[in-house]
Amino acid sequence: MKKIEITLKINGKPHGVRIYPNETLLEVLREKLDMTGAKESCGEGVCGSCTVQMDGKPVRSCLTLAMEAQGAEIKTVEGLASEDELSNLQQSFVDHGAVQCGFCTPGMLMSADALLAENPKPDEKTIRKALAGNICRCTGYTKIVEAVAHATHPQEHCCDCNPKE
Amino acid sequence: MLLPRFDYLEPQNLEAALDLLATHRDEAKILAGGTDLLVRMKKGLLKPKALISLKSLKGLSYIEDDNDRIRIGAGTCLAHIISSEIIREKARALFEACEKVGAVTIQHHRGTIGGNILQDNRCHHYNQSDFYRSGRQACHKDGGKICYARENADRCNSTCQSDGATALMALGAKLVLISKENERVVNLDQFYTADGIMPHAMESHELLKEIIIPLQNAQSSYQRLAYRSAIDYPIVCAGILLKPAKTEKDKIEDARIVVGAMGRAPLFLAQESSLLVGKSLDDTEAFQKAAKKSMDNAATFAVHNVGSTLEYRCEMVAEIVLRALKEAAQAAKD
Repeated sequence: MKKIEITLKINGKPHGVRIYPNETLLEVLREKLDMTGAKESCGEGVCGSCTVQMDGKPVRSCLTLAMEAQGAEIKTVEGLASEDELSNLQQSFVDHGAVQCGFCTPGMLMSADALLAENPKPDEKTIRKALAGNICRCTGYTKIVEAVAHATHPQEHCCDCNPKE
Repeated sequence: MLLPRFDYLEPQNLEAALDLLATHRDEAKILAGGTDLLVRMKKGLLKPKALISLKSLKGLSYIEDDNDRIRIGAGTCLAHIISSEIIREKARALFEACEKVGAVTIQHHRGTIGGNILQDNRCHHYNQSDFYRSGRQACHKDGGKICYARENADRCNSTCQSDGATALMALGAKLVLISKENERVVNLDQFYTADGIMPHAMESHELLKEIIIPLQNAQSSYQRLAYRSAIDYPIVCAGILLKPAKTEKDKIEDARIVVGAMGRAPLFLAQESSLLVGKSLDDTEAFQKAAKKSMDNAATFAVHNVGSTLEYRCEMVAEIVLRALKEAAQAAKD
Protein backbone atom coordinates (compact mmCIF):
# COMPACT_ATOMS: atom_id res chain seq x y z
CA MET A 1 0.00 0.00 0.00
CA LYS A 2 1.52 3.24 -1.18
CA LYS A 3 0.73 6.82 -0.36
CA ILE A 4 -1.07 8.63 -3.14
CA GLU A 5 -1.27 12.33 -3.87
CA ILE A 6 -4.86 13.50 -4.33
CA THR A 7 -6.68 16.79 -4.51
CA LEU A 8 -9.92 17.35 -2.68
CA LYS A 9 -12.09 20.38 -3.34
CA ILE A 10 -13.42 21.37 0.05
CA ASN A 11 -15.64 24.40 0.61
CA GLY A 12 -14.60 25.78 -2.77
CA LYS A 13 -10.83 25.47 -2.22
CA PRO A 14 -8.60 22.71 -3.57
CA HIS A 15 -6.47 20.90 -0.97
CA GLY A 16 -3.61 18.60 -1.99
CA VAL A 17 -2.98 15.73 0.43
CA ARG A 18 -0.87 12.58 0.47
CA ILE A 19 -2.93 9.70 1.78
CA TYR A 20 -3.12 5.92 2.03
CA PRO A 21 -6.03 4.44 0.05
CA ASN A 22 -7.61 3.07 3.22
CA GLU A 23 -8.14 6.52 4.73
CA THR A 24 -11.72 7.70 4.88
CA LEU A 25 -12.79 11.19 3.97
CA LEU A 26 -13.48 11.81 7.66
CA GLU A 27 -9.93 10.86 8.68
CA VAL A 28 -8.43 13.07 5.99
CA LEU A 29 -10.64 16.02 6.93
CA ARG A 30 -9.94 15.75 10.64
CA GLU A 31 -6.35 14.55 10.75
CA LYS A 32 -4.72 15.87 7.59
CA LEU A 33 -6.63 19.09 6.99
CA ASP A 34 -7.50 20.07 10.57
CA MET A 35 -11.18 20.44 9.74
CA THR A 36 -12.52 18.95 12.92
CA GLY A 37 -16.13 20.04 12.37
CA ALA A 38 -17.26 16.62 11.16
CA LYS A 39 -17.16 14.21 14.11
CA GLU A 40 -16.52 10.51 14.38
CA SER A 41 -18.94 8.75 16.67
CA CYS A 42 -20.06 5.26 15.62
CA GLY A 43 -17.73 5.02 12.63
CA GLU A 44 -20.14 2.67 10.84
CA GLY A 45 -22.72 4.89 9.23
CA VAL A 46 -25.42 4.81 11.87
CA CYS A 47 -25.22 8.03 13.88
CA GLY A 48 -24.73 10.73 11.25
CA SER A 49 -22.28 12.91 13.18
CA CYS A 50 -19.75 12.65 10.32
CA THR A 51 -22.20 13.89 7.67
CA VAL A 52 -20.71 16.17 4.99
CA GLN A 53 -22.03 17.12 1.58
CA MET A 54 -20.65 15.83 -1.71
CA ASP A 55 -22.03 17.69 -4.71
CA GLY A 56 -24.79 19.03 -2.50
CA LYS A 57 -25.90 15.63 -1.24
CA PRO A 58 -25.36 14.58 2.38
CA VAL A 59 -23.08 11.53 2.76
CA ARG A 60 -21.41 9.70 5.63
CA SER A 61 -17.77 10.74 5.50
CA CYS A 62 -16.81 7.78 7.75
CA LEU A 63 -18.02 5.40 5.01
CA THR A 64 -16.61 7.33 2.07
CA LEU A 65 -13.02 6.71 1.05
CA ALA A 66 -11.09 9.91 0.47
CA MET A 67 -10.11 8.40 -2.90
CA GLU A 68 -13.79 8.24 -3.85
CA ALA A 69 -14.32 11.90 -2.96
CA GLN A 70 -11.91 13.16 -5.61
CA GLY A 71 -13.59 15.37 -8.15
CA ALA A 72 -16.60 16.09 -5.97
CA GLU A 73 -17.47 19.43 -4.42
CA ILE A 74 -17.18 18.71 -0.73
CA LYS A 75 -18.87 20.98 1.76
CA THR A 76 -18.23 20.67 5.48
CA VAL A 77 -19.73 22.55 8.40
CA GLU A 78 -16.76 24.96 8.20
CA GLY A 79 -18.11 26.11 4.83
CA LEU A 80 -21.53 27.17 6.12
CA ALA A 81 -20.60 30.48 7.76
CA SER A 82 -19.22 33.35 5.71
CA GLU A 83 -16.28 35.23 7.27
CA ASP A 84 -17.50 36.15 10.76
CA GLU A 85 -21.19 35.69 10.18
CA LEU A 86 -23.11 32.51 10.86
CA SER A 87 -25.47 31.20 8.18
CA ASN A 88 -29.22 31.56 8.78
CA LEU A 89 -29.41 27.89 9.66
CA GLN A 90 -26.56 28.07 12.17
CA GLN A 91 -27.98 31.25 13.72
CA SER A 92 -31.36 29.57 13.96
CA PHE A 93 -29.78 26.62 15.82
CA VAL A 94 -28.24 29.08 18.30
CA ASP A 95 -31.45 31.10 18.72
CA HIS A 96 -33.66 28.08 19.22
CA GLY A 97 -31.35 26.35 21.69
CA ALA A 98 -30.96 23.43 19.27
CA VAL A 99 -27.38 22.82 20.41
CA GLN A 100 -26.96 20.92 23.66
CA CYS A 101 -23.68 19.01 23.88
CA GLY A 102 -23.14 19.92 20.23
CA PHE A 103 -21.58 16.66 19.06
CA CYS A 104 -24.34 15.86 16.56
CA THR A 105 -24.74 19.49 15.47
CA PRO A 106 -22.31 19.55 12.50
CA GLY A 107 -24.01 16.47 11.04
CA MET A 108 -27.47 17.89 11.71
CA LEU A 109 -26.48 21.16 10.04
CA MET A 110 -25.15 19.46 6.93
CA SER A 111 -28.24 17.25 6.53
CA ALA A 112 -30.55 20.21 7.17
CA ASP A 113 -28.56 22.47 4.83
CA ALA A 114 -28.94 19.94 1.99
CA LEU A 115 -32.68 19.71 2.71
CA LEU A 116 -33.15 23.47 2.69
CA ALA A 117 -31.24 23.80 -0.57
CA GLU A 118 -33.73 21.42 -2.16
CA ASN A 119 -36.85 22.51 -0.31
CA PRO A 120 -36.64 25.98 1.29
CA LYS A 121 -39.92 25.60 3.17
CA PRO A 122 -40.14 22.01 4.43
CA ASP A 123 -42.91 20.86 6.76
CA GLU A 124 -42.21 19.07 10.02
CA LYS A 125 -42.58 15.59 8.57
CA THR A 126 -40.11 16.33 5.78
CA ILE A 127 -37.61 17.72 8.26
CA ARG A 128 -37.93 14.72 10.56
CA LYS A 129 -37.46 12.39 7.61
CA ALA A 130 -34.43 14.30 6.36
CA LEU A 131 -32.84 14.19 9.81
CA ALA A 132 -33.79 10.56 10.50
CA GLY A 133 -30.20 9.49 9.89
CA ASN A 134 -28.79 11.90 12.45
CA ILE A 135 -28.95 10.79 16.05
CA CYS A 136 -28.90 13.27 18.97
CA ARG A 137 -28.28 11.52 22.26
CA CYS A 138 -29.22 14.65 24.23
CA THR A 139 -32.54 13.94 22.44
CA GLY A 140 -33.20 17.62 21.75
CA TYR A 141 -35.03 16.85 18.53
CA THR A 142 -37.94 19.25 19.08
CA LYS A 143 -35.65 22.27 19.16
CA ILE A 144 -33.60 20.99 16.23
CA VAL A 145 -36.69 20.53 14.06
CA GLU A 146 -37.94 23.99 15.06
CA ALA A 147 -34.58 25.54 14.24
CA VAL A 148 -34.61 24.00 10.75
CA ALA A 149 -38.25 24.94 10.12
CA HIS A 150 -37.68 28.55 11.15
CA ALA A 151 -34.22 28.96 9.57
CA THR A 152 -35.43 30.40 6.29
CA HIS A 153 -38.86 31.54 7.50
CA PRO A 154 -38.73 33.11 10.97
CA GLN A 155 -42.11 32.86 12.68
CA GLU A 156 -43.71 35.83 14.40
CA HIS A 157 -45.22 33.71 17.16
CA CYS A 158 -41.89 32.05 17.97
CA CYS A 159 -40.07 33.80 20.81
CA ASP A 160 -36.80 32.14 19.74
CA CYS A 161 -37.03 33.74 16.29
CA ASN A 162 -37.50 37.16 17.88
CA PRO A 163 -35.14 37.05 20.86
CA LYS A 164 -35.08 40.82 21.42
CA GLU A 165 -38.78 41.29 21.84
CA MET B 1 -12.38 2.76 13.46
CA LEU B 2 -9.63 2.21 10.93
CA LEU B 3 -9.92 0.28 7.72
CA PRO B 4 -7.49 -2.55 7.06
CA ARG B 5 -4.86 -2.07 4.34
CA PHE B 6 -5.80 -2.68 0.72
CA ASP B 7 -4.87 -1.60 -2.79
CA TYR B 8 -7.33 0.77 -4.41
CA LEU B 9 -7.99 0.04 -8.08
CA GLU B 10 -10.03 2.35 -10.23
CA PRO B 11 -10.81 0.84 -13.64
CA GLN B 12 -11.91 3.40 -16.22
CA ASN B 13 -14.30 1.13 -18.12
CA LEU B 14 -16.23 -2.12 -17.78
CA GLU B 15 -13.64 -4.24 -19.64
CA ALA B 16 -10.86 -3.04 -17.38
CA ALA B 17 -13.00 -3.81 -14.32
CA LEU B 18 -13.72 -7.35 -15.57
CA ASP B 19 -10.02 -7.86 -16.32
CA LEU B 20 -9.13 -6.84 -12.79
CA LEU B 21 -11.81 -9.14 -11.36
CA ALA B 22 -10.53 -12.04 -13.46
CA THR B 23 -6.98 -11.43 -12.20
CA HIS B 24 -7.72 -10.88 -8.53
CA ARG B 25 -10.75 -13.18 -8.07
CA ASP B 26 -11.30 -13.87 -4.35
CA GLU B 27 -8.66 -11.39 -3.29
CA ALA B 28 -10.59 -8.36 -4.52
CA LYS B 29 -13.95 -6.89 -3.60
CA ILE B 30 -16.10 -4.55 -5.62
CA LEU B 31 -16.61 -1.13 -4.07
CA ALA B 32 -19.77 0.66 -5.21
CA GLY B 33 -21.41 2.76 -2.48
CA GLY B 34 -19.40 1.20 0.32
CA THR B 35 -22.18 1.54 2.90
CA ASP B 36 -22.14 -2.22 3.57
CA LEU B 37 -18.63 -3.26 2.48
CA LEU B 38 -16.67 -0.64 4.41
CA VAL B 39 -18.57 -1.39 7.63
CA ARG B 40 -17.65 -5.07 7.31
CA MET B 41 -14.03 -4.16 6.63
CA LYS B 42 -13.92 -1.85 9.64
CA LYS B 43 -15.16 -4.68 11.82
CA GLY B 44 -12.51 -7.02 10.47
CA LEU B 45 -15.08 -9.35 8.87
CA LEU B 46 -13.49 -8.87 5.44
CA LYS B 47 -9.88 -8.22 4.57
CA PRO B 48 -9.65 -8.01 0.78
CA LYS B 49 -6.22 -7.34 -0.73
CA ALA B 50 -7.72 -4.96 -3.24
CA LEU B 51 -10.87 -2.91 -3.74
CA ILE B 52 -12.08 -2.36 -7.28
CA SER B 53 -13.93 0.93 -7.32
CA LEU B 54 -16.85 1.41 -9.71
CA LYS B 55 -16.60 5.19 -9.33
CA SER B 56 -15.64 5.78 -12.97
CA LEU B 57 -18.18 3.33 -14.40
CA LYS B 58 -20.98 5.84 -14.81
CA GLY B 59 -22.56 3.61 -17.48
CA LEU B 60 -23.82 1.27 -14.75
CA SER B 61 -26.32 3.83 -13.51
CA TYR B 62 -29.58 3.93 -15.46
CA ILE B 63 -33.29 3.08 -15.33
CA GLU B 64 -34.80 2.14 -18.71
CA ASP B 65 -38.41 1.29 -19.48
CA ASP B 66 -38.65 -1.17 -22.44
CA ASN B 67 -42.47 -1.50 -22.22
CA ASP B 68 -42.42 -5.19 -21.29
CA ARG B 69 -39.62 -4.84 -18.74
CA ILE B 70 -37.64 -2.35 -16.72
CA ARG B 71 -33.85 -2.51 -16.76
CA ILE B 72 -31.93 -1.02 -13.86
CA GLY B 73 -28.15 -0.61 -13.88
CA ALA B 74 -26.60 -2.24 -10.81
CA GLY B 75 -24.76 0.97 -9.96
CA THR B 76 -27.93 3.06 -9.78
CA CYS B 77 -28.07 4.76 -6.40
CA LEU B 78 -31.12 4.28 -4.20
CA ALA B 79 -31.98 8.00 -4.30
CA HIS B 80 -32.25 7.75 -8.09
CA ILE B 81 -34.60 4.74 -7.85
CA ILE B 82 -36.87 6.46 -5.35
CA SER B 83 -37.16 9.58 -7.46
CA SER B 84 -37.90 7.59 -10.64
CA GLU B 85 -41.49 7.83 -11.88
CA ILE B 86 -41.07 4.53 -13.78
CA ILE B 87 -40.25 2.59 -10.62
CA ARG B 88 -42.89 4.34 -8.56
CA GLU B 89 -45.64 3.53 -11.03
CA LYS B 90 -44.63 0.16 -12.41
CA ALA B 91 -42.60 -1.51 -9.66
CA ARG B 92 -44.14 -0.13 -6.51
CA ALA B 93 -42.64 -2.79 -4.23
CA LEU B 94 -39.10 -1.79 -5.20
CA PHE B 95 -39.88 1.88 -4.59
CA GLU B 96 -41.30 1.10 -1.15
CA ALA B 97 -38.37 -1.16 -0.27
CA CYS B 98 -35.66 1.29 -1.35
CA GLU B 99 -37.40 4.08 0.49
CA LYS B 100 -36.93 2.19 3.74
CA VAL B 101 -33.24 1.26 3.37
CA GLY B 102 -30.89 2.83 5.90
CA ALA B 103 -31.05 6.53 6.62
CA VAL B 104 -33.35 7.75 3.90
CA THR B 105 -31.76 10.99 2.87
CA ILE B 106 -28.16 10.16 3.56
CA GLN B 107 -27.11 6.65 2.64
CA HIS B 108 -29.29 6.77 -0.45
CA HIS B 109 -26.88 9.00 -2.34
CA ARG B 110 -24.04 6.48 -1.96
CA GLY B 111 -25.80 3.12 -1.61
CA THR B 112 -26.62 1.31 -4.86
CA ILE B 113 -29.33 -1.21 -5.75
CA GLY B 114 -26.69 -3.77 -6.77
CA GLY B 115 -25.01 -3.43 -3.41
CA ASN B 116 -28.33 -3.77 -1.65
CA ILE B 117 -29.07 -7.10 -3.33
CA LEU B 118 -25.53 -8.40 -2.91
CA GLN B 119 -25.14 -7.43 0.73
CA ASP B 120 -23.89 -10.32 2.79
CA ASN B 121 -26.12 -12.10 5.27
CA ARG B 122 -26.19 -10.77 8.80
CA CYS B 123 -26.34 -12.21 12.29
CA HIS B 124 -26.00 -10.31 15.53
CA HIS B 125 -23.48 -12.85 16.78
CA TYR B 126 -21.28 -12.31 13.73
CA ASN B 127 -21.66 -8.63 12.74
CA GLN B 128 -19.66 -7.44 15.70
CA SER B 129 -16.28 -5.84 16.28
CA ASP B 130 -13.00 -7.78 16.29
CA PHE B 131 -12.80 -7.26 20.03
CA TYR B 132 -16.28 -8.71 20.69
CA ARG B 133 -15.60 -11.73 18.50
CA SER B 134 -12.14 -12.30 20.00
CA GLY B 135 -13.74 -13.19 23.32
CA ARG B 136 -15.37 -16.38 22.02
CA GLN B 137 -14.81 -19.21 19.58
CA ALA B 138 -15.32 -18.41 15.92
CA CYS B 139 -18.74 -19.22 14.47
CA HIS B 140 -19.37 -20.95 11.13
CA LYS B 141 -19.38 -17.69 9.17
CA ASP B 142 -16.16 -16.63 10.87
CA GLY B 143 -14.40 -19.86 9.88
CA GLY B 144 -15.21 -21.88 13.02
CA LYS B 145 -17.61 -24.72 13.81
CA ILE B 146 -20.11 -23.21 16.21
CA CYS B 147 -23.44 -21.47 15.70
CA TYR B 148 -24.49 -19.11 18.48
CA ALA B 149 -27.91 -18.51 16.95
CA ARG B 150 -29.09 -22.13 17.01
CA GLU B 151 -27.70 -24.75 19.33
CA ASN B 152 -25.82 -27.65 17.71
CA ALA B 153 -26.40 -26.24 14.23
CA ASP B 154 -24.03 -27.76 11.71
CA ARG B 155 -24.19 -24.76 9.40
CA CYS B 156 -24.39 -20.99 9.39
CA ASN B 157 -27.86 -19.56 10.04
CA SER B 158 -27.20 -15.94 9.12
CA THR B 159 -30.17 -13.98 7.78
CA CYS B 160 -30.60 -12.13 4.51
CA GLN B 161 -31.92 -8.71 5.52
CA SER B 162 -31.93 -7.03 2.13
CA ASP B 163 -35.04 -4.94 1.49
CA GLY B 164 -34.32 -4.67 -2.23
CA ALA B 165 -33.89 -8.42 -2.76
CA THR B 166 -37.25 -9.25 -1.12
CA ALA B 167 -39.09 -6.70 -3.23
CA LEU B 168 -37.32 -7.71 -6.44
CA MET B 169 -37.98 -11.39 -5.84
CA ALA B 170 -41.68 -10.61 -5.49
CA LEU B 171 -41.47 -8.73 -8.79
CA GLY B 172 -39.87 -11.80 -10.41
CA ALA B 173 -36.65 -9.97 -11.24
CA LYS B 174 -33.67 -11.38 -13.08
CA LEU B 175 -30.02 -10.50 -12.64
CA VAL B 176 -27.50 -10.06 -15.45
CA LEU B 177 -24.06 -11.21 -14.31
CA ILE B 178 -21.07 -10.58 -16.51
CA SER B 179 -17.52 -11.81 -16.39
CA LYS B 180 -14.59 -11.56 -18.76
CA GLU B 181 -15.67 -14.72 -20.57
CA ASN B 182 -19.43 -14.61 -20.62
CA GLU B 183 -22.69 -13.05 -19.58
CA ARG B 184 -25.53 -14.92 -17.92
CA VAL B 185 -29.03 -14.14 -16.72
CA VAL B 186 -30.18 -15.64 -13.41
CA ASN B 187 -33.63 -15.57 -11.87
CA LEU B 188 -33.43 -13.96 -8.45
CA ASP B 189 -35.36 -17.00 -7.12
CA GLN B 190 -32.39 -19.19 -8.04
CA PHE B 191 -29.68 -16.75 -7.10
CA TYR B 192 -29.56 -17.82 -3.47
CA THR B 193 -27.67 -20.86 -2.25
CA ALA B 194 -29.33 -21.30 1.17
CA ASP B 195 -25.81 -21.27 2.57
CA GLY B 196 -25.28 -18.60 5.23
CA ILE B 197 -21.56 -18.32 4.54
CA MET B 198 -21.76 -17.85 0.76
CA PRO B 199 -25.36 -16.74 0.26
CA HIS B 200 -25.16 -15.88 -3.46
CA ALA B 201 -24.58 -18.14 -6.45
CA MET B 202 -22.09 -15.74 -7.94
CA GLU B 203 -18.50 -16.41 -8.93
CA SER B 204 -15.79 -14.14 -7.56
CA HIS B 205 -14.89 -12.92 -11.05
CA GLU B 206 -18.46 -11.95 -11.91
CA LEU B 207 -19.98 -8.52 -11.72
CA LEU B 208 -23.67 -7.69 -11.36
CA LYS B 209 -24.44 -5.50 -14.34
CA GLU B 210 -28.17 -5.15 -14.55
CA ILE B 211 -31.45 -6.01 -12.89
CA ILE B 212 -34.40 -6.83 -15.15
CA ILE B 213 -37.95 -6.50 -13.84
CA PRO B 214 -40.54 -8.09 -16.16
CA LEU B 215 -43.73 -6.05 -16.36
CA GLN B 216 -46.92 -8.08 -16.30
CA ASN B 217 -49.78 -5.69 -15.53
CA ALA B 218 -49.59 -6.64 -11.89
CA GLN B 219 -49.56 -4.65 -8.67
CA SER B 220 -46.86 -5.06 -6.07
CA SER B 221 -46.28 -3.90 -2.54
CA TYR B 222 -43.69 -4.15 0.18
CA GLN B 223 -44.07 -3.94 3.94
CA ARG B 224 -41.53 -4.30 6.67
CA LEU B 225 -41.07 -4.33 10.40
CA ALA B 226 -37.98 -2.74 11.97
CA TYR B 227 -37.10 -1.19 15.32
CA ARG B 228 -36.89 2.32 13.91
CA SER B 229 -38.31 3.68 10.69
CA ALA B 230 -34.82 4.73 9.56
CA ILE B 231 -31.31 3.29 9.87
CA ASP B 232 -32.33 -0.21 10.98
CA TYR B 233 -32.46 -3.40 8.97
CA PRO B 234 -35.84 -5.17 8.74
CA ILE B 235 -36.57 -7.94 11.24
CA VAL B 236 -39.49 -9.15 9.10
CA CYS B 237 -40.44 -7.99 5.62
CA ALA B 238 -42.74 -9.10 2.83
CA GLY B 239 -42.97 -8.41 -0.87
CA ILE B 240 -46.20 -9.19 -2.73
CA LEU B 241 -47.18 -9.32 -6.38
CA LEU B 242 -50.84 -9.66 -7.37
CA LYS B 243 -51.87 -10.03 -11.00
CA PRO B 244 -55.56 -9.53 -11.70
CA ALA B 245 -57.12 -11.62 -14.48
CA LYS B 246 -57.58 -9.91 -17.85
CA THR B 247 -61.27 -10.64 -18.17
CA GLU B 248 -62.48 -10.60 -14.59
CA LYS B 249 -60.60 -7.70 -13.11
CA ASP B 250 -61.36 -8.55 -9.48
CA LYS B 251 -60.02 -12.11 -9.73
CA ILE B 252 -56.40 -12.93 -8.94
CA GLU B 253 -54.70 -14.73 -11.80
CA ASP B 254 -51.24 -14.98 -10.30
CA ALA B 255 -49.70 -14.13 -6.95
CA ARG B 256 -46.26 -14.11 -5.41
CA ILE B 257 -45.61 -13.94 -1.68
CA VAL B 258 -42.00 -13.40 -0.64
CA VAL B 259 -40.98 -13.17 3.01
CA GLY B 260 -37.63 -11.58 3.83
CA ALA B 261 -35.38 -11.29 6.89
CA MET B 262 -36.55 -14.70 8.12
CA GLY B 263 -34.10 -17.08 6.48
CA ARG B 264 -30.76 -17.38 4.73
CA ALA B 265 -32.42 -15.96 1.61
CA PRO B 266 -35.70 -14.19 0.86
CA LEU B 267 -38.33 -16.95 0.88
CA PHE B 268 -40.61 -17.27 -2.14
CA LEU B 269 -43.61 -19.16 -0.78
CA ALA B 270 -45.02 -20.89 -3.87
CA GLN B 271 -47.61 -22.97 -2.07
CA GLU B 272 -49.03 -20.06 -0.10
CA SER B 273 -49.03 -17.89 -3.24
CA SER B 274 -51.07 -20.51 -5.13
CA LEU B 275 -53.77 -20.34 -2.43
CA LEU B 276 -54.65 -16.90 -3.76
CA VAL B 277 -55.02 -17.85 -7.41
CA GLY B 278 -58.64 -17.57 -8.54
CA LYS B 279 -59.65 -15.70 -5.40
CA SER B 280 -61.28 -12.28 -5.41
CA LEU B 281 -59.27 -9.13 -4.62
CA ASP B 282 -61.77 -8.48 -1.80
CA ASP B 283 -61.42 -11.91 -0.26
CA THR B 284 -59.90 -10.92 3.09
CA GLU B 285 -60.43 -14.42 4.44
CA ALA B 286 -58.19 -15.90 1.72
CA PHE B 287 -55.58 -13.23 2.46
CA GLN B 288 -55.66 -14.10 6.14
CA LYS B 289 -55.34 -17.78 5.40
CA ALA B 290 -52.38 -17.21 3.05
CA ALA B 291 -50.74 -14.91 5.60
CA LYS B 292 -51.18 -17.48 8.37
CA LYS B 293 -49.71 -20.24 6.19
CA SER B 294 -46.82 -17.95 5.23
CA MET B 295 -46.11 -17.45 8.91
CA ASP B 296 -46.07 -21.20 9.57
CA ASN B 297 -43.77 -21.80 6.62
CA ALA B 298 -41.37 -18.90 7.22
CA ALA B 299 -41.14 -19.65 10.94
CA THR B 300 -39.37 -22.95 10.25
CA PHE B 301 -36.44 -21.08 8.66
CA ALA B 302 -35.94 -18.35 11.24
CA VAL B 303 -33.45 -18.34 14.08
CA HIS B 304 -32.99 -15.82 16.85
CA ASN B 305 -30.21 -13.72 15.33
CA VAL B 306 -31.37 -10.30 14.14
CA GLY B 307 -32.76 -8.75 17.30
CA SER B 308 -36.22 -8.96 18.83
CA THR B 309 -37.54 -12.32 20.02
CA LEU B 310 -38.05 -15.12 17.57
CA GLU B 311 -41.67 -15.63 18.67
CA TYR B 312 -42.52 -12.01 17.98
CA ARG B 313 -40.87 -12.03 14.57
CA CYS B 314 -42.67 -15.22 13.58
CA GLU B 315 -46.06 -13.90 14.67
CA MET B 316 -45.48 -10.65 12.83
CA VAL B 317 -44.90 -12.47 9.52
CA ALA B 318 -48.65 -13.06 9.25
CA GLU B 319 -49.40 -9.41 9.98
CA ILE B 320 -46.79 -8.00 7.62
CA VAL B 321 -47.83 -10.34 4.78
CA LEU B 322 -51.47 -9.44 5.35
CA ARG B 323 -50.71 -5.70 5.27
CA ALA B 324 -48.77 -6.09 2.04
CA LEU B 325 -51.52 -8.23 0.48
CA LYS B 326 -54.19 -5.67 1.35
CA GLU B 327 -52.05 -2.87 -0.03
CA ALA B 328 -51.41 -4.68 -3.31
CA ALA B 329 -55.09 -5.65 -3.61
CA GLN B 330 -56.13 -2.05 -3.05
CA ALA B 331 -53.70 -0.88 -5.72
CA ALA B 332 -55.06 -3.52 -8.13
CA LYS B 333 -58.61 -2.31 -7.57
CA ASP B 334 -57.79 1.40 -8.08
